[in-house]
Amino acid sequence: MTWTWFHRLGSPPYVYALAERLTPWFAWPAALLIVGGLWGGLVLAPPDYQQGDGFRIIYVHAPSAWMSLMVYTTMAVAAAVGLIWRMKVAHAVAASCAPIGASFTFAALVTGALWGQPMWGTYWEWDPRLTSELVLLFLYLGYMGLRAGIEDTQRADRASAVLAVVGVVNVPIIHYSVTWWNSLHQAPSVMRLDKPTIPASMLVPLLMMLLGFTLYFAAILLVRLRAEILSRERAASWIRAEVFAT
Amino acid sequence: MRAFFDMGGYAAFVWPAYAVTLAVVILNIVWARRALVRARAEARRRLDVRAGEKS
Repeated sequence: MTWTWFHRLGSPPYVYALAERLTPWFAWPAALLIVGGLWGGLVLAPPDYQQGDGFRIIYVHAPSAWMSLMVYTTMAVAAAVGLIWRMKVAHAVAASCAPIGASFTFAALVTGALWGQPMWGTYWEWDPRLTSELVLLFLYLGYMGLRAGIEDTQRADRASAVLAVVGVVNVPIIHYSVTWWNSLHQAPSVMRLDKPTIPASMLVPLLMMLLGFTLYFAAILLVRLRAEILSRERAASWIRAEVFAT
Repeated sequence: MRAFFDMGGYAAFVWPAYAVTLAVVILNIVWARRALVRARAEARRRLDVRAGEKS
């Protein structure tokens, strides 16, 4: 196996151009999947036999919660790659992830509260799942605050990468919190080892939303990554051609 | 149609949940684009200054 592809990913102008080219290939399928998933979830799926139409919150809550964890994992992996191979582009990826992940963690908490009130009788409970998800929001905010507080980009990269890598222990805690401890929150219906426990008419729109949000994340990340690369490559000559071209 | 918006009595929870998520989805697009526009403008300014110093 050759490692050329990996070395190329260390080259800012290569990654910048690649990110620009790839963005629409993620953005358009994401838009189609999300619109289709919304239609399926709000219109086609039948009401739940216990929760009626209230269960439809799942189509925004589960994708937001999935994003909160998936984006964090991406950020931690990128941060680790940046630390190990001293790869500037990897640090740029990690830095680009944080605001996206923080905003979807916020969405997961708010949609969860709006689901909790009618079904559990409370917006908030200091429950393992809810509390660990709140800790995730603070990890994102801490990461962003730490970066903002260190002027030198390289030092900010390294310090924030350590925080991101250490914080990743929270990801399995969130995922397994509902099985390890007694939680108000239900156990997973889709992300489980055996078959999902919901019927296809409810499951298919949910899978479309999950995939749609994932592709959407890739598109947003690529746009943010370009901004991040531009602000890091202060003197490089390829930037001149890039920013004066249009 | 009325029944759809009523969401079986859960309208007060379902629609705000969708609204918040949609807002986050749209804001992320706006923020990402703005970050790129700003980074480009800043790079242009930086390069102009550099060119000015040389001449």
